Amino acid sequence: MGQHGMSWRIGVDIGGTFIDFCALDETTQGLHTLKVLTTPDDPGQEVMAGIALLQERHGMDPASVTAFVHGTTIGINTIIQRKGAALALLTTAGFEDVIELARLRMPEMHGLFCARPDPLVPRDRIFGIAGRILADGSEQTPLDIPAIRAAAAAAREAGAAGLVVAFINAYRNPAHERMAAEILREAAPDLFVFTATAIWPVIREYERTTTAVLNGYVHPRVAGYLTSLEEALARRGVAAPPMVTKSNGGVMATGLGKTACVNMLLSGTASGVIGAAFLARQAGIANALTLDIGGTSADVALVIDGQPQFGTGETVGNFPIFIPAVAVTSIGDGGGSLAWVDGFGVLKVGPESAGSVPGPACYGRGGERATITDAMAVCGFLGHTPLAYRSVAIDRGRAEAAIGVIAGQMRLGLHETAEAIVKVAISGMFVEVNKLLGRSGADPGDFCLMPFGGAGPMLGCLLARELGMARVMVPRRPGVVSALGGLIADVKNDFVRTVFLDADPADAPALREAAHALRAQAEAWLREEQRFHGPASRRYLADMRYHGQSFEIEVPLDEACIEAGDMAAVADAFHRQHVAIYAFSDEQAAAQIINLRLVITGATAPPAFPVMPRIEGTPAPLSEVTVWYDGANRQMPLYLRDTLQHGHRLDGPAIIAQEDTTICIPEGFAGAVDGWGNLLLTAQGAAP
Amino acid sequence: MTIDKVTLQIMGNHLRAAAETMAYTLYRTAHSTFVKETEDFTTQVTDAAGMCVAVPMDLGATWYPGINYGRALAMIEEYEPGDVAFTNDPYSGFVATHVPDLHMWKPIFHDGTLVCFAAGHIHNTDMGGAVPASLSRALTEVHQEGVRFPPMKLYRRGVLNEELLRVMLLNVRKPEQNRGDLQAFIGALNTGERKLRAAIDKFGADGLREGMARLLDYAEHQAREVLRSIPDGEYFFSDYADEDAVDGQPCRVALTLRIAGDAAVLDFTGSDPQLTSALNVPTGGDPHHTLLLVGVYYVLCTLEPRIVLNAGLTRPFTCVVPEGTVLNPHPPAAVGMRSLTCARLRSLIFGAFGLAIPECMPAAPAGSSSIVNVMTTDNRTHRSVLAAVNPIVGGAGGMPHRDGTNGSGADAAYLKNTPVEITEAEVPIQILRYGLLPDSGGAGRWRGGLATALDFRVAAPHTRITARNRDRCRFRPWGILGGGPGAPSDFVLNPGSPRERVLGNTDTVTLEPGDVIHIHSPGGGGRGNPLEREAERVALDVQRGYVSREAAASAYGVILDGERIDAAATARARRRPPPAGHFAFGPEREAHEAVWTAEAYAELTALLAGLPVHWRFFVKTKMFEEMAAHPDAVGRVFAAVRAGYEEIP
Repeated sequence: MGQHGMSWRIGVDIGGTFIDFCALDETTQGLHTLKVLTTPDDPGQEVMAGIALLQERHGMDPASVTAFVHGTTIGINTIIQRKGAALALLTTAGFEDVIELARLRMPEMHGLFCARPDPLVPRDRIFGIAGRILADGSEQTPLDIPAIRAAAAAAREAGAAGLVVAFINAYRNPAHERMAAEILREAAPDLFVFTATAIWPVIREYERTTTAVLNGYVHPRVAGYLTSLEEALARRGVAAPPMVTKSNGGVMATGLGKTACVNMLLSGTASGVIGAAFLARQAGIANALTLDIGGTSADVALVIDGQPQFGTGETVGNFPIFIPAVAVTSIGDGGGSLAWVDGFGVLKVGPESAGSVPGPACYGRGGERATITDAMAVCGFLGHTPLAYRSVAIDRGRAEAAIGVIAGQMRLGLHETAEAIVKVAISGMFVEVNKLLGRSGADPGDFCLMPFGGAGPMLGCLLARELGMARVMVPRRPGVVSALGGLIADVKNDFVRTVFLDADPADAPALREAAHALRAQAEAWLREEQRFHGPASRRYLADMRYHGQSFEIEVPLDEACIEAGDMAAVADAFHRQHVAIYAFSDEQAAAQIINLRLVITGATAPPAFPVMPRIEGTPAPLSEVTVWYDGANRQMPLYLRDTLQHGHRLDGPAIIAQEDTTICIPEGFAGAVDGWGNLLLTAQGAAP
Repeated sequence: MTIDKVTLQIMGNHLRAAAETMAYTLYRTAHSTFVKETEDFTTQVTDAAGMCVAVPMDLGATWYPGINYGRALAMIEEYEPGDVAFTNDPYSGFVATHVPDLHMWKPIFHDGTLVCFAAGHIHNTDMGGAVPASLSRALTEVHQEGVRFPPMKLYRRGVLNEELLRVMLLNVRKPEQNRGDLQAFIGALNTGERKLRAAIDKFGADGLREGMARLLDYAEHQAREVLRSIPDGEYFFSDYADEDAVDGQPCRVALTLRIAGDAAVLDFTGSDPQLTSALNVPTGGDPHHTLLLVGVYYVLCTLEPRIVLNAGLTRPFTCVVPEGTVLNPHPPAAVGMRSLTCARLRSLIFGAFGLAIPECMPAAPAGSSSIVNVMTTDNRTHRSVLAAVNPIVGGAGGMPHRDGTNGSGADAAYLKNTPVEITEAEVPIQILRYGLLPDSGGAGRWRGGLATALDFRVAAPHTRITARNRDRCRFRPWGILGGGPGAPSDFVLNPGSPRERVLGNTDTVTLEPGDVIHIHSPGGGGRGNPLEREAERVALDVQRGYVSREAAASAYGVILDGERIDAAATARARRRPPPAGHFAFGPEREAHEAVWTAEAYAELTALLAGLPVHWRFFVKTKMFEEMAAHPDAVGRVFAAVRAGYEEIP
């Protein structure tokens, strides 16, 4: 193949088993994908292998890469495996237990043995420092400087590699934190130092402190990894400065990622939603429920009016982080979830999982217990073609042996048991999706389900049926949606200032002043730190509430209103948002602005994938297969995704196999292929 | 039709999804901050008889999986589609157990026959009555605790009874909040109805009915399996609330737990007579009342974390609650602060099960969570501010396999705190300390979880502090199997200054500018012999500030030389006999029980049971006063009291 592309954008996403690549040839708008097995012992090596393959197969010249965007799980794995840095934490004296107490409430509250995870900084490396800033930002007691020097010495003595400083009310006045950091850098130049307000200067001491601690905890490993990646890319001749994906759905330069580590912890799931939202918009779908199922996780997210939703407080390995992130909800543990039978003879699925090692029995990698994937294999949905880019061949015999154990306990036939496992698993996901819908006040009928990931398209239609969702859209390449998300993501960052203002004309100047300060900070970040010179947009958001409420809601604010000091418009925006979320508002009550936030976005030109020529007709099946579902053996066609073309129509029941996933279409769904190769499925009786 | 074990699991998930969706809808749309902060609400799906078949797992209070609406819903003659019934009367049907709790239920019909109910409750911040928020320990009759409604229809065939609503809203202090929460609640019930209709479509009305019956059987089966794993026998335990009224006598709750095979009887005979304060727990003598069994749910979930939560769990348990006692009061006994007594009821049950299965059970959790509120004036704006500062929660008891969780846990793990920075930004007080209290966890092989302490300074005159649910200032959370008791709770004005005043169980105090308030919770009890705790672990506790150097030596026999363990001195210090007995109660309870022995209590119980209900609390109080002044045999003490009041029958 000739070297026709003059500029390439590359998105790379690292999963548990594979690394996914999406490479966009900007000249032709052609998209190439590939998967490479991960090499846990030599992280970064697989990225190089992937680039070599792109070069070989598609003639990509590394020098012509204009953007290299990378999503990595190194941070999240550091936390889950608890392999992060030994840290010391300096708090205001009297508040040393801030990370241990957290917000008190525990997730599992029905048993007497409930506990929080052990804090990432043990109490003997937490030092209370006298010195007090009050809620209005004034200094009541000066900082105890000798105590800081003593803490630095004690921290080093205790083996700390880094220091985190988080003082009460520093969101209002960070002077003490800054002074402490300066003294620490001088007293312990060999230790790294982070202050909580430099990470995310928002009110609420636990939230701010734990976010800063997580940042420090993953910092050395993340920085080390990114440095070796940069070096390897440079050696390979990739000229473009590499970028990393962020939990907020944007990207940033790897140089910044080395210190703003906490911003990339949830980047994998976030890029998936960014990619899915792009594909939904491209297909003309406004509201989507994205469903990303892999071997070990199942996540859903709402896309409303083409946009992902954002929130704070997402959890990473049992620890919440409080920076804005694409809102993603876990609904289970993926295709590897194990089936079992309890003492009453009731069939259960999960929460225990076979994970990626040993994995489902049918993968033949040592797994012996029945998983959802094994059940799908026994039903006959899987196993007609190799899976996961030909790296996995389904061993149906092993699946039958594993399901047979459960069948014996249930006193049911093999097929009945396999179907039962799938149905129980689907009903478990049904509960979790309903909670998300209840929390958001959303009606499933208004959404199109968008399954992706290796196992999403396998279970998507079955879940849609359970939820009463009439529409399902399976993207052309469900296995690489996260990598695509990175490729198309914008350069983006969030800035915050806690202001505590009333939505009252008297406070208009203060709001304007805060907006200007954020804007200056944001512009400096984008233009100077990121060296981004393309078109940029600013979006102001306020965290607002009624006086006396204990929580805030996010309200988009019009920059012109802030500039004009139109506080009535600000209050009105709040009341309207309150109605949208909570179904009521109280126009008489005073509204308060707790935080003003600014999201700055340097736009990446979205790819314009060409529409395939349309043909009429039905695709030719590869073969006829027998699948057990809904209580009977059924004959159904098996199609290869690569043979489907724009305009093709097909009816369920059917199976569509492709390199990275298998799509299961039950009876009652009718499918059509759109111009980008997406498969749109509609439940019978529903308006298309 | 028979429901197979696969459909049962799927149906269980669909019904739980209905309950969860109702809960999220209610949480999202409720107006009052109180609902959002404390999550003091529940949602349920019940069968046609009113037995709870599904509850949410993530949100809401943990007390109601075993609720039975049967008695309340039978008080309404006939149900029609579109009806919504409600009650908040603690004495009509015994679903509402204090006046702020408004329970509602909506019948779901299919082809004209009743299939099930969507139900739940919400705690209203105020329902009127003598005091703001309707709750005070000092109240003596339920009539003082707010406006009450026996079970009746708020909606009849979809039409709201506006007149009824007007009566309610006229009688409460924050009508807009109550109205908003009520609307949110109705919205949640309607959401539940939609989900349940979808379930009827999926499983059929008969299928759903049978499935609900089988789900109750399923939970019952699981509970019976757990009971079968517990040795048969009779296990007696008693526990005390510090005071039965303001500055009162100890309030005893007692339990004889009889386990035989897969069933258990919980006989509460020996619990104190009903009180002339608001600490009574109205159960109507229902042998399966959910409030009596909350401790049992915790035990079941601890032993079998995957247990299905519904009213089937209550079937193997039969409670005996004599009439006219604190656990089965006659109207019009006040009941507003029953949550304090409920905490003792839970520790009572934990203690009794601990005798049956010591190897599986933890020591007592702190067991008292004071909710601290402040009412003050902002010196700059002159605005008056009323705010919740924090719940002061203590640690869990030492577990069979690890230390008690610090600062919360066990049966208090649902409470949330308020960030210090939020409080300081909104309330003109300065928080000086919010953290764990060293040496407050009971010593043990596995240490009790530490207490939390809160210190703050106020700035305005006439600042009023309330701390609801004050208890465990005197009688400590007990340790087991050689573990020591947790430290008691306390409430102190201006600690360490000449103006220091110990407030103990006082639940309201008025402060001057500059005053400092200190409050700390109890700590959790310890479990197992502290001399067997690894010396390294004790040393680490000292390094972490959880245990003082002195306590390491005195309670654990671990002698530290700087940070190092002095092995020889430690070996010497640990050469002492292990603590004896199953429980360690601490000196206060030992002193009390030296006078009021088990035999004395048995005699007292019999004597009081022979008196008309309205005499019992009076006579108990007089007998305690007499006993304190002139310790003697119970019979003679009674005679002395009777001599002073010839009207005693």
